[in-house]
Amino acid sequence: MSDLLANLWMGFHVAANPFNILFCLLGALVGTLVGVLPGVGSVATIAMLLPITFGLPPVGALIMLAGIYYGAQYGGSTTSVLVNIPGEATSVITCLDGHQMAKQGRAGPALAIAAIGSFFAGCVATVLVAALGAPLTSLALLFGPAEYFSLMVLGLIFAVVLAKGSVLKAVAMVVTGLLLSMVGSDLETGAGRMTFDIPELADGIGFANIAMGVFGFAEIIRNLELPPESRDILKTKISGLMPTRQDLIDSSGAIARGTLIGSLVGILPGGGAVIASFAAYTFEKKLSKHPERFGRGAIQGVAAPESANNAAAQTSFIPLLTLGIPPNAVMALMVGAMTIHGIVPGPQVMTKQPELFWGMIASMWLGNLMLVVINLPLVGIWVSLLRVPYRLLYPSIIVFCCIGIYSINNSPTDVVIAAIFGVVGYWLVKHDFEPAPLLLGFVLGPLMEENLRRAMLIARGDATVFFTRPISGVLLSTAIILLIIAALPKIRRRRDEVFVE
Amino acid sequence: MSEGVSPSPQGTRPGFSINTHNLVGGLIVTVLALLLLGFSFYVPNSVIPRLMSAALVLIGVAAAIGVLPVHGPRDFYGGLALVMLPTFALIASADLPGQRGFAFGPGTAPRLFSFVLAALGAAVAIGGVFAEGPPIEKYKIRGPTLVIIAILAFANLIRPIGLVPATFLAFMISILGSTEMRWIESLIVAAAMTTFCVLLFVYLLNLPFQLWPRF
Repeated sequence: MSDLLANLWMGFHVAANPFNILFCLLGALVGTLVGVLPGVGSVATIAMLLPITFGLPPVGALIMLAGIYYGAQYGGSTTSVLVNIPGEATSVITCLDGHQMAKQGRAGPALAIAAIGSFFAGCVATVLVAALGAPLTSLALLFGPAEYFSLMVLGLIFAVVLAKGSVLKAVAMVVTGLLLSMVGSDLETGAGRMTFDIPELADGIGFANIAMGVFGFAEIIRNLELPPESRDILKTKISGLMPTRQDLIDSSGAIARGTLIGSLVGILPGGGAVIASFAAYTFEKKLSKHPERFGRGAIQGVAAPESANNAAAQTSFIPLLTLGIPPNAVMALMVGAMTIHGIVPGPQVMTKQPELFWGMIASMWLGNLMLVVINLPLVGIWVSLLRVPYRLLYPSIIVFCCIGIYSINNSPTDVVIAAIFGVVGYWLVKHDFEPAPLLLGFVLGPLMEENLRRAMLIARGDATVFFTRPISGVLLSTAIILLIIAALPKIRRRRDEVFVE
Repeated sequence: MSEGVSPSPQGTRPGFSINTHNLVGGLIVTVLALLLLGFSFYVPNSVIPRLMSAALVLIGVAAAIGVLPVHGPRDFYGGLALVMLPTFALIASADLPGQRGFAFGPGTAPRLFSFVLAALGAAVAIGGVFAEGPPIEKYKIRGPTLVIIAILAFANLIRPIGLVPATFLAFMISILGSTEMRWIESLIVAAAMTTFCVLLFVYLLNLPFQLWPRF
């Protein structure tokens, strides 16, 4: 316990460094901005900003990128409540009750509860990340290559089962990502694999190129197809931010339960903030004595998902920081960011770079504090940003992405590769394939191959080792059972219902 | 990567019969599969991908002439593309040594993932043959094309003419993709965005960019 406090103290020391505070604020601001703007997701933004973090010190860079992710959860709620446009997939569910509250003239309390819930969830999740960090790291040290491989399989299966849409197609996307990650020089022999003697491919397909293509460019192309939207900005002035006593009493339970669900779902691989907000809303509705009030402006319907998405956004750092396994697409980008700075994500981070680990955790708490300040009083400014029409926004994003990709390696080929993946991403959407599992597979591919290779070498080519070693066997069996359960028709129908809601 | 681009037809218009649609789709599959087959004969040691591409050719022809009824075109063509990608990968990695004794070679993992993906893709495609599914959404031409042209223009112009003109041009080309474009407003925002990018990337982040064309 005293260790924990000492570590947190060190973390705050790092995070309170003026530069790091600046980066944290910057991340929170950018996060709120992309959260507010529909059509600009946090995955695309973090991919866009990866090149910029090159010149920064690693701690500052990661603090900023983390800030974008949880900042987007705050910003997303603002537009959901005021304009009924979810700026972020995680706030889709907040629209249901939040916008109803706004229509009833209670936009202020809805925003305040969303912010309070998010802040509370952020505080709890920060402590959770700190508390679980050490034990999970020591667990990770027991893992050999076979266990690591099985853990990654389990993580990928979790990601697939918890995603929406067909399980089969999501698995296919993961394997596509794995296959794409094989392009480039072989780690051990240096042989060029599927490179066609193109020098730019010798290092593999750039991770940022795929992310920017599939999430940035494809998203833009896709949005251009939609009919021009009409954004009816709520003209009513927001009067009285403060929630009443009754509001606070009504929502306190929902905030606590939302935080709990969000924290749990966030830790699960493949969980992340979207599923957390859906789960918390559904749970709250089931539990409520007045389920009929949901969808008509129930304050619990704002409090629960908003707390849950923020808690999940933060606890999804746990598998990344302790095991080195990214549980969702945003964390996959964080792996990219860490690798750019020469940090290998995993249990070593905590022992070798404690100031990075604890600084990041402490910055999450500071960031949450900043976000409450940024979001509540300045809500008017953020909403007025919605007046920027998409026809001016998307060309700006495109040129920004182009310059960003080019600047990573000063290579025009990278820009072309990103363009190709933009088309691929567009095609994927047309055929109902989700791009997120692809990115996850792509990031985990080299790690999986390395561990698979080592495990096979140690076991002298005996593939049964993955089942005979106890931890590995349990992990793999869990993965198989999960996959079977998800494929059962009854469960599948229930799963579809949850996502339709 | 050509097989990832468009193995599906221009889209299904409600008035068109399903046969016209599958004729186009099946032909695209056939042509791509024939290309794969041709490619595989340039590479030694690729019997399995040759068989796979030959099977794909047959499936494409069958879909085109209507022997193979397709109920869920999204899944059917999506799945076939996911069989073509690993076929391509298998041909491309045919020259790599595989497993030797206990140890993995550089070719083992790509082949392993290729076979798994081909099986999954086939399963998706088979699902598309039998299960009723929505038609493929219509592909728009204007927006996507101009956005891609803008990106490619940037890639090709940044070296010869420098950051400022390349950014400005890419902005203007991509904004043409929108149906609501207004000239004056666009020119102003393009100039502002170019200035912002120069300030951010060149002055603030100190990245080595050439700003203007070299004369």
